[in-house]
Order: sequence, then structure tokens, then C-alpha cells
Amino acid sequence: MKGFSNELRLILRSRLSTSALLLLLVLAALAVWSGLDQVAHQRQTIDRLAVLHQQDVAAVADRYADSADAGSPAYYTFYNTWDPPSDTAFMALGLRDVAPYVLRIRALGLQAQLYDGETFNPELALPGRFDFAFVLIYLAPLFAIALLHDLVSAERQSGRLRLLLSMPGGSRLWRRRAALRYGLLFACLALPLLAGALISGTAPLAIAIALVISASYLAFWVGLSLLIAARGWSSVANANATVLMGSWALLTLLLPTLANIVLSRAIPVHQGVDLMLAQREAVHGAWEVPREETMRRFFESHPEWRDTAPLPDGFHWKWYFAFHQVGDESVAEQVRAYRAGLEARQQWTERLGWLLPGVGAQAVIHRVADTDLPAQLAYRDRIEAFHREMRDFYYGYLFTDRAFGSKGFASQPTFTPRSREPVSFGYQEAATLLLSWLVFLFGIGRLGALKPNGKARPAGRAGAALQGATADAAL
Amino acid sequence: MSVVARIAREEWRLLLRDRVAVSGLLLLLLLTLVAVLNAYEHQRSASAERARYQAQANREFETQPDRHPHRVVHFGHFLFRPLNPLAAFDPGINAYTGNTLFLEGHRQNTANFGDVRQSSLLLRFGQLTPAFMLQVLAPLLLIFVGHAAVARERESGTLRILLAQGVAGRQIVAGKLLALSGFAGLALLPALLALAWLAASGRAPWPLALLLAGAYIGWLLLWSLLVVLVSSQFKRGRDALLALLAAWAVLVILLPRWLPDLANANVPLPTRFENAIQVEREYKALGDSHNPDDPHFSAFRERVLEKYGVENVEDLPVNYKGLLAIEGERLSSELFNRYADALFDRQERQNAMVDDFAWLSPALALRRLSMAAAGTDQANFRRFLEQGEDYRYELVQGLNRLQAEELDYVDDTNPDKENRISHAHWQSFPEFHYRAPTVSDVMHRALPVGLVLLCWLAVFTVLMRLAGNRLGRVAQ
Repeated sequence: MKGFSNELRLILRSRLSTSALLLLLVLAALAVWSGLDQVAHQRQTIDRLAVLHQQDVAAVADRYADSADAGSPAYYTFYNTWDPPSDTAFMALGLRDVAPYVLRIRALGLQAQLYDGETFNPELALPGRFDFAFVLIYLAPLFAIALLHDLVSAERQSGRLRLLLSMPGGSRLWRRRAALRYGLLFACLALPLLAGALISGTAPLAIAIALVISASYLAFWVGLSLLIAARGWSSVANANATVLMGSWALLTLLLPTLANIVLSRAIPVHQGVDLMLAQREAVHGAWEVPREETMRRFFESHPEWRDTAPLPDGFHWKWYFAFHQVGDESVAEQVRAYRAGLEARQQWTERLGWLLPGVGAQAVIHRVADTDLPAQLAYRDRIEAFHREMRDFYYGYLFTDRAFGSKGFASQPTFTPRSREPVSFGYQEAATLLLSWLVFLFGIGRLGALKPNGKARPAGRAGAALQGATADAAL
Repeated sequence: MSVVARIAREEWRLLLRDRVAVSGLLLLLLLTLVAVLNAYEHQRSASAERARYQAQANREFETQPDRHPHRVVHFGHFLFRPLNPLAAFDPGINAYTGNTLFLEGHRQNTANFGDVRQSSLLLRFGQLTPAFMLQVLAPLLLIFVGHAAVARERESGTLRILLAQGVAGRQIVAGKLLALSGFAGLALLPALLALAWLAASGRAPWPLALLLAGAYIGWLLLWSLLVVLVSSQFKRGRDALLALLAAWAVLVILLPRWLPDLANANVPLPTRFENAIQVEREYKALGDSHNPDDPHFSAFRERVLEKYGVENVEDLPVNYKGLLAIEGERLSSELFNRYADALFDRQERQNAMVDDFAWLSPALALRRLSMAAAGTDQANFRRFLEQGEDYRYELVQGLNRLQAEELDYVDDTNPDKENRISHAHWQSFPEFHYRAPTVSDVMHRALPVGLVLLCWLAVFTVLMRLAGNRLGRVAQ
């Protein structure tokens, strides 16, 4: 214990270390605060719009209070849907800044409404958000590198290295130093995160997973830094920093972007536009199709209305809504293909995360925050289910020619946001962690294998050091 | 050979022997090449795809059967945003904006199906484009290879010897700068060649290609200056490296992310949801065309009757319902445009806020300059949306005029009568063609940030001279 407190004093006496740690703490706190602020803003928006929407519905109900049929109410009434931020969303805002979390829909064709965008400023969205996920994935590794790259070379430069290595229990000293730096870095990330979780009332399991992921990702960078820092006697501080920063640029900037190119080429998703064009043709073509033909197709998917009164001579709303329904159904295949494409992109990203710790951590933390592509698709599913409910509600009036009136308005379906499955720790998360901890162990092992005679390891580049470390761990 | 050139040559020899420098440069060159080829290929295929979709949409519009014009107003039209050739160099916000705009009567829709909502979060790591390589990674390489340029001489004691031999501090610094900017020039080469090719093959105008080239030359020159400057200020190469890496992380990674959040918080944008409700409210308040006693629309009827000198709408030589549709669309479009303009202005205020910080991070100035020249910034997107809206308005009003002129009021108000006009009318509408901003427009927009970048360069050049002089004095 005494060793630890001595080391701690040493670290805190170094101006570079203390200012780096303080800066990381401030940045993480700022990111958490900004995330909380964003989430609060999104909640306020949802509440504000609910009020506005109520007034809108009341106005429509007032206008069509004595409507004989349900047609005009069904046509003019909008419903609000919303996707509240989860209590973990503050960690990683994800796609919520570019995809709508509130959407107004009505009983007409859903496929023409489902993909509407939200107003946002693309120039501001382009560089990405400043949230905890950013601090963790991009910035924390830089701090790990700054604190650890000269762990060994600084001692050599000051002439203490030979002495330190020849002391009994020398390897314990290195481990203590590495562990302490790791612990301090982790604390700078974890404390703001815990505070944020406390404020936002996050479920313990979710915050535990987020902490484990943060700890693992940090362990990867600490491990890698140790591997490079312990490259034997000839390791020079700036060469170490260069190799480490190069690895960082490769792992968090280059390879993910390269992967994105491969992924978007391998899995094209133009079906979205296709289905939009096809749905429009189907819906508007209905005016040229014999009405009985449209009704026949409608009854195929809705047999419960088959034995209702036949269409009268003039216009009838039930035909109008039926062709919207048939229009949606006619593109069901494209909708499935579009979705399959999006899911495949997500799946391959997750697989990539097993190899690229940054991508893996990004995927897991956004999954925990429920702000990723699957979250967006889940919101879409919820809207779809609600739209079905809405349609069935109006069909009940239209196909039985029941009067709608204010009673109808009073019994309109109401939207409830999707329920969230509790986050779980699955094989995806475990696979993401595996590589990180392996690298960490190799790094620690390599550090312990430093020999005082200076002949332990020939100097080499990062790759050689990695191989050397693997060999160490195997022995 | 001058002293400066000799120092530069010596530095070059060292650089070429440094494995980190050479492999870093090769990697950067290779990746820039990949980025250029990919960007060009992607640009070409996306352009072809959009042209194909646009042709399909045009065909679908023109080959509609005989219809009531108002049906066609609702059938609407699709526009696909064409890609600017220079987007291959810097795609800017292209992945973040929708590319498919649905035009219909009584509504202004958003452009949908942007890449950002169709990708996993991988896209948020950035895109491997020539612009990304040069904006983010090239400075990092310059830091790696250049941080020790002067510090190394100091550490090994050769600096003192050089000075003792009568070499001026200024000359040493200039030589190092020459070497490092030569290295930067190598890193820039594939991108410059790609730009030259885009311009020479007539895909992009020369002035814009030159503007882009100038911007990136200035950017890497700025980093060369910064690297040599910092290197001359620190006793140890390692400290210079750490300082430069910190500066890079703050200027290139942190500020460009953090400032937009500030702008977002300071100038909040209304949601589409509430704008839609507000527009509907205001529209309802303007009047109700179905209500015979509505003040706005009865005044409109009186004006029409007076103009044609008749007593009743049935006696008009045109279909009054068509006239009403024209009036309604005019009113609603005015409203829509007011809200759209307010939103655009808010977005511009946000962007201007970020631009102001270009005095704090030249990366922001470069980004603005690059996106403006490549035609991939918000201003260009706004241009597309506004031209799309103009096209929508003309289309809808053209259809409403057809309703007024080709259909009879009595027929049109009879619910039991099928009112259709010939499909030949649909072919008389012109197709949409996006008009890109003129070169002088772009230059005009690029000028202020270009000046900011020049100011940065000037400041660093002055600092460099001072540092050179100091280097000479300190050692004596």
C-alpha cells in the first residue's frame, strides 16, 4: 500500500501527468453534462410538442364533431409519435441528432410518411457530437499514450533504470506504476459517468456494462502503450509516441473509415428510394384501377371486412383508405429488403468491433444508450404497429358505416412509446472485450520481463514488439 | 548552393532515412490514392444512380394516364439531388443530407434517404476522402516527421556548432521549413493531381480546383510552420512532440466537435413537427375556401367576378375551383417559404457562429473553404432545396392553371362526374435542372475564410522569423 501512495505522489508531482489527468476529468465531465443537457432538451421538446399536438387534435375534433362518417376525421387527424431518450442516452447521443425522435403520422399510406427526416444542421452534425462516447473512444487513448509512452525511457534518461531493474521485486514496481496510471485514467472517465448515471437514474446493469466497456477499451490502450514503452533499452520517448499515435490514427480514424467504404459498397440500400417510387405509383394508380379490384386485394389481407356492404356508386372513403393500405402492402417486399440491408450493415459493424476495439466500444456503448441504428429501427417498428392500430380503428367505422362524431374522437387510439428491453451482456460485448484484455495482459507481461542487463529485447518497431510480447505471455 | 538549401537537403536526407517518415508518407500516399479513386468511383456511381432515378421519375410523371389535374398535384414529382464533381474531393455534408425530394401540392417535404440514417455508426468515424486525409491525417504525419527538426540539433549540440560557424538562426529555421514543406508537398501530390485531372477533363471549373489546391497548400504550409516553430522552442524533441500532438488534438479533433454543440445549444432549431402545426394554424387563420362567408375568400371571389365582369362564378370563362386552388397554393407556399427561410437563417446563424471560431482553429477555416469550393456545404444544399421549391411551385400552379382552363366549373363541382384531361399535358412541363452557383458566387463566399487562413499564415510567418532571430541570440 505504501508503494502505491509513494507512486501516487510521484505522478501528482509531475506537471504533465496531473494536468493531463485533470484535463481528461474536465472533458469527461463536460461531455456527460452536455449529454445530460441534450437529453433534457429532447425530453422538453417531446413534452412541448405533446401540448401543441393536443391543441391540434382538439381543433380537428371540433371541426368534424358532427361528421357523419369517419373519412374526414381519418384523413385530417394527425397522431404524434415519439421516442423518448433512454436514461442511458446521455452517454452517447448516436443517431438521435440526425433522425427524428418525434414524428406526426396519419392513417394514409405509411410508407410515404415513415422516412421523413427531422430538421437538423448537417454542417454541425458532420464532425459528430461531443459526448461521453467521443471522449472515451477518441480522447482517452491520447491521454493513455501521453501518460505511459515514456514509462521506461524516462527512467533511463534520468539514469535510474538500471537501479530500478536490479532491485528485488522490480517487476512488481512496474506493474504498480502501470496499474496506478490505468486506475487514475479510469477514474477520470468513470466518476463523471457515474455522476451522470446518478442524475439520470440509470439502471445499475446498464451503467455496469458501460463501465466495463470503458475499462476494457482503456485497458487496450494502456496495454498497447506498455507494449511499446517496454521495447527494451533502445526505446526512445518520441519514437514511442509516434508509433502509438500512428496506431491510434490507424485504429480510430483510418480503419473504421476504410471499413465504412467496404461496407457501404458491399451492402447497398437503394431499396428505400425504390419502395418510395413504387408505393407512389401503386397508391395513385388506384384511381385508374377498377375499384372492385382494389377492394378484392384489400380483402385478401383483411378478410374480416369481406362481408360488409359493397361500394356505393359515388366516392366512398373506405375505398380511399383501402388503396392506401394496398399501396403499402404492394411494397412489402422492398421494405423487407431495405430493412435487411440496414440490419446487415449494423451486423457487420458489430463483427468489425471484435477486431477494432474503437468500433466495438462504440457499438456497445451506443447499444447500451439505445441510440444506434437498431434503436431507430425499433422506433420505426413501434410507429408501424401503432399505424396498424390506427387503421383498424378507422376501418371499424368506415366498413360498418358507423357515425364517427365526437364519440369517435374520444375513443381514438393513443400512442405509447416503445418499451425497452433491458440491456444484456451478450457474446457481442464479450467478444469486444476479449482482444482488449489480451493486449492489456501482454503489455503488463512485457513490462515485467524487462531485464537489467539491457539485452532483453532487441529494439524493434511496434509489430516486432507485439510479437515479442506474445512470446512473453506464452512462456 | 545557399545555406538554407543545404540545411534543407541535409534534413531531407535524414527524413528519407527515417523509417517512420518514409513508411508514414507511403501509407498516406497510398491511402490518399485509395480515397481519391474511391471518391471518384463513388461519385460516378451515385451520379449515375441519381440520374437514372431522375429519368425514371420524369418518365413516370410524363406517362401518367388522363387524370384530373388535382390528382397530379398529389401524385407529385421526385427530384434527386445531382452531385457536384468536386464532391469527389470533399463530400462535405453530402452523406448527412437527404437526396430524394418529393414534391406535391400543399406541402413542403424534407429531402430523405440520406446516408447517415442508412448507415451504422461507422459513418460517424468520418469518411475516408481526400479532404479527410489532408485535413486530419497529413498534419499528424508532419508532426511525426518534423517535431525534432530543430530540437534534435539542439539536443545533440550541433545547433551551437552551426551558429558558431556563422549560420544565422533564421537560415536554420528556414532550411528546416523548406525541407518539411517539401515533404508536405509530396503528401499533397496525389490530391493535387486529382484536382488537376478533374479540372483538365472539364468536370470542374479551374478556378474552384485552384482554390481548393490553394487552400490545402496553405493548410499544410501552416502546419509546417507550426511544427518547425514549436520544434525550435523546446529543449527536447519529445516535449515538442507532445505539445504539437496536444495542439493537433485540440485544433483538429476537439474544437471542430465541441463548437457545433455550442452553436446548437445557443441557436436551437424548431422541430419539423411544430413548424408543420404552426403553418397549418396560420393557414387556417388566413381563411377557409370552403366557407362561402369567409372574408378573405369572398373578397377574392368579388375581385375575380369584377375582373371578368360577371355576376356568378358559374358564368366565369374559367373554372373557379382552379382559381381557388391557385390562390390557396400561393398563400400556403408563402407561409411555407417564410418558415423555411427562418429555418435556413437559423442554420446559417449556427454556421456563422462556428465560422467565427476559425480565428481559434484554422481547421474550421479550411473546412469552410473546402466545402464551399467543392459545393458541398449547407449553402449549396439550401440552393438545391430552394430551386426544388421553385420548381414545385411552378409545377403545382401549372397544374392548377390546367384545372382552371381545361375543366368546366359545373363539371368540376359535380361529384358524380369523372373529370380528366388529356395525358398530353403532363409532357408540357419542363424537367428540373439544378443550377450550380457561379464561380464568382463561390469565390465571394470563400473570401472571408480564405482571409482568415491567410492571417493565420501571416502570424506564423512572423512568429517564425522571431523564433529564428531568437535562436541565434540564445546560442551566443
